[in-house]
Order: sequence, then C-alpha cells, then structure tokens
Amino acid sequence: MVSISVSHSTMLAAPASGGELLPASELARACGAEIEWVVQLVEVGIVESSAPAARPDEWRFMAGDLQRALEARRLQRDFEVGLDAAALILDLEREVRRLKAVLHAQGLRA
Amino acid sequence: MDFKDYYQALGIERTASEDEVKKSYRKLARKYHPDVSKEADAEARMRDINEAYDVLRDKEKRAAYDALAERVARGGSPDGDFHPPPGWDEGFEFHRGPGQGPADHADFSEFFSSMFGEAERRGAQRRQYRARGEDHHAAIEITLEDALSGAEREITLRAMELDAQGQPQFKPRTLSVKIPAGVRPGQYIRLAGQGMPGHGGEPAGDLYLEVRIAPHRLYRVEERDLYMTLPVTPSEAALGAQVKVPTPTGGVVEVTVPRNARGGLKLRLKGRGLPGKTPGDLYLLLEIALPPADTDAARKAYEELARAVSFNPRSQLGV
Repeated sequence: MVSISVSHSTMLAAPASGGELLPASELARACGAEIEWVVQLVEVGIVESSAPAARPDEWRFMAGDLQRALEARRLQRDFEVGLDAAALILDLEREVRRLKAVLHAQGLRA
Repeated sequence: MDFKDYYQALGIERTASEDEVKKSYRKLARKYHPDVSKEADAEARMRDINEAYDVLRDKEKRAAYDALAERVARGGSPDGDFHPPPGWDEGFEFHRGPGQGPADHADFSEFFSSMFGEAERRGAQRRQYRARGEDHHAAIEITLEDALSGAEREITLRAMELDAQGQPQFKPRTLSVKIPAGVRPGQYIRLAGQGMPGHGGEPAGDLYLEVRIAPHRLYRVEERDLYMTLPVTPSEAALGAQVKVPTPTGGVVEVTVPRNARGGLKLRLKGRGLPGKTPGDLYLLLEIALPPADTDAARKAYEELARAVSFNPRSQLGV
C-alpha cells in the first residue's frame, strides 16, 4: 500500500467561510459536462453564481453548488429527468435530510 | 476477488433488453435511495446497483462482461476466487464519452476496477488522444470534533497508477488529508492532481472529497450552526435558572434560562458553532423534563402545586 501525504489540497468555499470558489468551467468538468450545461443549471436555479456576471466564464461557485450539480447530473443520466424536475427533487431531498437530522437529534429514528 | 453477477444485482435475466435494464435499474435506484430507503444496507446496495448499471447499460461493456461470464461459467474456479483471465477483453474497446456524467468509479468494487477501469484507460491510449484526466469523487466522514478543531485523516481509495513497466494498475492508495477547522457538512476538499491520470501528457484530474459529519451524541449540525436539546425541570423553566451547559469544544458555560420559559424555546450562544470567518452559533432547544412522582414527598409537592395554581392546559380543546 502506498501512502501519500497531500499538501496541495484546498477547501471549496461555503457561505460565510473562506475557501476556493470554483469557476464555471471547473464545475462543468467536475460533473463530466460542458459549460453550456452549467448555464442551464443557473437558469433553473439549481446552482447560483457567487460572483454575479453576465459572462459564464466569470461565474464562481461554492461547495453546495458542486453537490447539487453532481446530484442533478446523476438524476439526468439515470432517470432522464428534466432540469426543472431535478431542481424539485433536490429541494425535497434537502428537506428530507434536514427533517431526518431533526428527528435524529430528538432521539427518534426516521 | 469475487466474480460479480451484475444481472443478479439488477434482478434481470441475461437476455434482458436495454429497456428492461433501464427499467429495473430505475426501480431499484428508487427503492434503495439513501434518503428514502428503510433498508439497513441501502447505501451498499445502491453502490452495487450503480456499478451493475454502469456496465449493463453500455453495449461495449455488457458484451465484454457477457463474454467473460461465459468463460467463467465454462471454466469455473473451484475456490470461488476470481481473477480475470489475461486478455479477456481483447477485441473490446471502452469509451467514456463526454455527457456520461461524473466518474463515480472510486466507489466501485475491485472487480469493476480491474475489469473496466484499466480497459477504459487502455482504450483511450489506443486512440492516442490528448486529454486531461477525469475528476474523481469520493466522500470522507469525520467526527464533529474533527470539524471543530481540524484534523488530519487518512482515506484509502482504489486508484490507477503506472507500474514499473508503464502499465496502468489499480492499487489501493492511502491519502493523508488535512481537514481544516470549521469545515461544514457538504463542503468539498479538492486534491489537485489526485484524479484519473491524463492522456497524452496532459495533467491528471482532481479528486473532490465530500465532507460528511458523523451524527453526534449531543449536537446536530446545520450549516455552520449546532443544535442541542437542553433539558430543564418545570421549576427551572417557571422560575428561571442558571444551568451548566457543555460546549462542543469541551468547555462548560452557565446559561440563563429566562422565567416562564416554554418547551421548544431556543437559546442562542453566539459564536459557539463551527469556527470560520463568521463562526456559527450554538442553539439550545429547551425541553421540560418532569421529575417522577415516585416518592410521597414528590407526590405531595405535585398535589400542592395543583391546589395552588389553577391551570388548565386543555382550555384550547373546548371541552
């Protein structure tokens, strides 16, 4: 087994915390997609650029955007859903996870 | 290494049509979706289903897998241990074209990696194009304590490397990852160059590690804030009190419970959540715990309270 210590790691930004913002092209690449697809995600509101700009190559994204974009990509690939339906599924998933965490904290099992 | 029966994983016959593969996958993916499923092994099942679908949905991979399965059925391996025969995939070429979505292979089994990971790469080499390596994705679960104070954690991934002869091989690889203090659930740590190797001299892709925080006995994490249930007695809630509360970093603080506090009241301890540029807060959710009436003295005290205070908690019920 090879052990490697990684020195060049960065943390992606989250709201009100420091970290690296992801350019639109890199968000696309991380999802195995093209930048045009990121433009569509912004249009339906699945991701939102932290740097408002007219040109997509100036857009910057946070960790939560990457998470939602990856999930949307899988939903599209596996279920062939439209992006509007994907957006709704993502919102519902987030709510289910939040509610489950509340139940868990109350000592109840979901 | 076990031979994986992908048809069994999807619950279909070997003769299943492309449409049947898709339908069966979708049904199972819904059944074992981690947010919906009640099954204990939902996450592991979901991985198996995803892996099986990755192979069976793809004509090239499915044909190669079928040919291999037939050889295994004919030859058999008495000890149940499986190794792919050399050259098993000759004549097959695997493509991962654009539009296929993220490469989730880091999660897949050793069986999958040794079959298709390497073969995909060789296919790419044969075509000799130049391309940056694909980005990879994996998750790392840390404790709340790690998130509060930062830590160094090891994660073992199956990753492709070139051996001494320049042949690609899948090997378990342990990465030591620095977890910065204040990391939140759902944040990503990006490890540059730790994804798939590039083709034709292009750089390797990156590895994105999604941070998950394991459920904690006392605290629940929401974004950068922490939530804790704080039990108080009815007298503390009614009269107000100073109570001791443990903080996530191991300290103890005194908190003032206001007079006439109700169950569900939220008290905020500013800046006691996850650290960061703007640190999160710690919220205490008041829960009123009844002292048991299991002694004469306790019963008498309850009776006196009932006599002294005329209080009907059911006045809203209209009866």
